[in-house]
Formats: sequence, structure tokens, C-alpha cells
Amino acid sequence: MLGDNSVGEFYSVAVTNNYQQADTGTKMVHIGKHTRSTIVSKGISAGHGQNSYRGLVKIQKGAANARNFSQCDSLLLGNKCGAHTFPYIEVKNTSARVEHEASTSKIGDDQIFYCNQRGLATQDAVNMIVNGFCKEVFRELPMEFAVEAQKLLGVSLEGSVG
Amino acid sequence: MKEPILEIKDLNAGVEGKQILKGINLTIYPGEVHAVMGPNGSGKSTLAAILAGRKGYDVTSGRVSYQGKDLLDLDPEERAREGLFLAFQYPVEIPGVNSTYFLKSALNEIRKHKGQTELDAMEFIALVKDKIQLLELKEDLLRRSVNEGFSGGEKKRNEIFQMAVLEPRLAILDETDSGLDIDALKVVSNGVNKLRGADNAQLVITHYQRLLNYIVPDFVHVLVDGRIVRTGGKQLALDLEEKGYDWVVKEEVAPA
Repeated sequence: MLGDNSVGEFYSVAVTNNYQQADTGTKMVHIGKHTRSTIVSKGISAGHGQNSYRGLVKIQKGAANARNFSQCDSLLLGNKCGAHTFPYIEVKNTSARVEHEASTSKIGDDQIFYCNQRGLATQDAVNMIVNGFCKEVFRELPMEFAVEAQKLLGVSLEGSVG
Repeated sequence: MKEPILEIKDLNAGVEGKQILKGINLTIYPGEVHAVMGPNGSGKSTLAAILAGRKGYDVTSGRVSYQGKDLLDLDPEERAREGLFLAFQYPVEIPGVNSTYFLKSALNEIRKHKGQTELDAMEFIALVKDKIQLLELKEDLLRRSVNEGFSGGEKKRNEIFQMAVLEPRLAILDETDSGLDIDALKVVSNGVNKLRGADNAQLVITHYQRLLNYIVPDFVHVLVDGRIVRTGGKQLALDLEEKGYDWVVKEEVAPA
């Protein structure tokens, strides 16, 4: 973000299944004054998939009053996949405010059973929960694209739950 | 003679090698409300879990027939679509999944199974509006994630709200009264009673007699250490309240 008051936003959903490995992320470089950046990264690992998030938040010396918020959430489906987070934060201005949150979770058996008991098949329950997990990102997309993205997500995860 | 909704014959089951249910026999006909009472560890929740199809339990012998079909042969979602509903003792939260979307999907799975047309969002909301009021839930519940941020009482009322929407043939209420104050208990009981019909049945599992003042059972079964040691009418619940579970066990060991 070179210009004063400029804004950068990055929203991503990364899905790995079978034996795929993904290394995704972004770089937010704050150069001007009063700049803002937001990073929301959702990683879903299934099968033997490995997801890595690699993000750089760099606040240059002249970047007064810079703000960044990074959220990095991982969802693991099954016992054979992995999720890794590599945040890089370089701050050269003391007025900067940089926030980083990360979470790793699994879909609980109790949650799946609750859905089953209401008549929903396990794959549908997983799709529903995964979509809920990605909501913050899909909400930023134009509606037609979001609908396609949700369908694609469902297809990518087919057979991921035994 | 009407066909029973549920028939449990000599059910023996356990978990991780330990036997919990030791030969349960129970038959429920349409229009009936049965209560199962027992002390902690008697196997009440195990019974509910096995009927609903939760994994992790081993049925070592016996049969369970639901509407003439072998229940144990069906997946939990198949049982639900056939009209079996479990009101959970500890309803789980599902963050990110909208309550309305969840319940509409569930209802539509059941409707699809019955060959009925599925409802769209508008039709669904119209259907549930008065049921929300019946359970005295706030309308903003429709906008929240499943059970997220709900108090204990709200979660239990939400279970009965779902029951009202899904209209099951057999409703199993697993300690629905636990954690409820008297007002919440009345609201929940009123909801359950409104759903009572000649063609469906309810299995109420409880620890305390108090719930049965509001949901009056036709039959009361006392479950102790995995066995139904006595069956009676609603008076049995009152006797139990007065004399305790020990009394029933003693009477069984040394019958008069």
C-alpha cells in the first residue's frame, strides 16, 4: 500500500484432498501513511492433504499509523491431513498495529451425529459445516461466483468423509 | 389391532466391552407416551443413543423393530427420515451453520423421503413462525447459527421447536428436563403435549418425577442397572419419588 490511506484485502479458501499440497498466502506491504490491510485465509485439509499458509505483513519505516488484521483458520477433515501456518511479520514503525489470529479445528463427531439425527446425510452435513467455515470469505464474493464456489467446494470434498 | 411403532426385544448392548443394557423389552403403540426412569448409570442415555443410531455402541443380542422394519439396520439419517426424533440431552453447537437453513434442509430431507414437495425459504419461514411462539423463542433465533450462544434452557426449547417442525412418529426425549427451571419446564412440556397425537408416540427419559407432572405418561418403566425392573402406570413415578429407586430394587429381589 503505497498511497496514504490505501487499503489492501485478501480473502482465500484453500482446499486440499487426497495427496495434494497447497502453499498459499499473501504479502501486505505498508508504505504510505494510515494504511489498512485485512487477510482472511481459510484452509481445509482432507484425505492426506497438506495446507500451508504463508503470509507476510511488512510495515515500512515511513508507514505511520498502519493497521493490519490477519485471520488464519484451518479445518482438518479426518486424521491423515495437516495444516501449517507460517506468518511473517516485519514491523519498522512503532505506531503500527498488527493483529494475527489463528485457529485449527476438526468437525466433531457429535456435530455430524446431530445432523444425521435430523435426517441429513454425513456428506451433506460436512458440506454445510465447511460452508459455514468459509462464510466470511464467500460473503466477499459476487453472488453468482459465491454460488459456484460453494458447489465447487462440495465437489472437491466428495468422498472425503468415510 | 394396531401395529406397534417400536418393539424392543431382549436388547443387550454395551460400550468398550462393558455391558450396559441387559435384556430390555419394550413395546410402544401409536398414541402412547412411555416414561423411562432410572438412577445415574442405569443405561437411560445408552438406550436413547442406540435407538437413534449413535456409533460406538455394540448391540450384542436382541432386536429392535420400528414400524415393522429392523431399526438397527438403518443409518441414523434413515431412521430420522422414517420419523424417529431424538431431543438431545446436551445439544451440540454448529457454528457457521444458519439455524433456518439447517432445519429447512432437515425438513426437506424428510419431505423428500415421503414423496412430498420441498419447501423454499419463504414457505418454511411461514410454517415455523407460530411454532417459534409456541416455544417462546425469539425470532432472531432464525438468524443465528445452530445452538450458538444459546443458554441451556434455549437449547432445550430449540430441541422441542425442531420436534414441532419435523413432526416425528416417535420422539425420544433424553432428559429434556435437566437444567431447566420451572418456567422453561412448563414451556417445553406444553410444546411436547401439543405434539401428542393418536398416530405418534413419545418416549420420555428422565431422572426426576417432576417432568411427568406436565408430560403425563401412559406407562412408566423403571430402569436399574440395565434392566427394566418394573413397569406401571403414572402412579409408579409418584411412588418412586416418595420411596426412591432402592425400594423398587428391593421389591424385585424379594417379591412379596
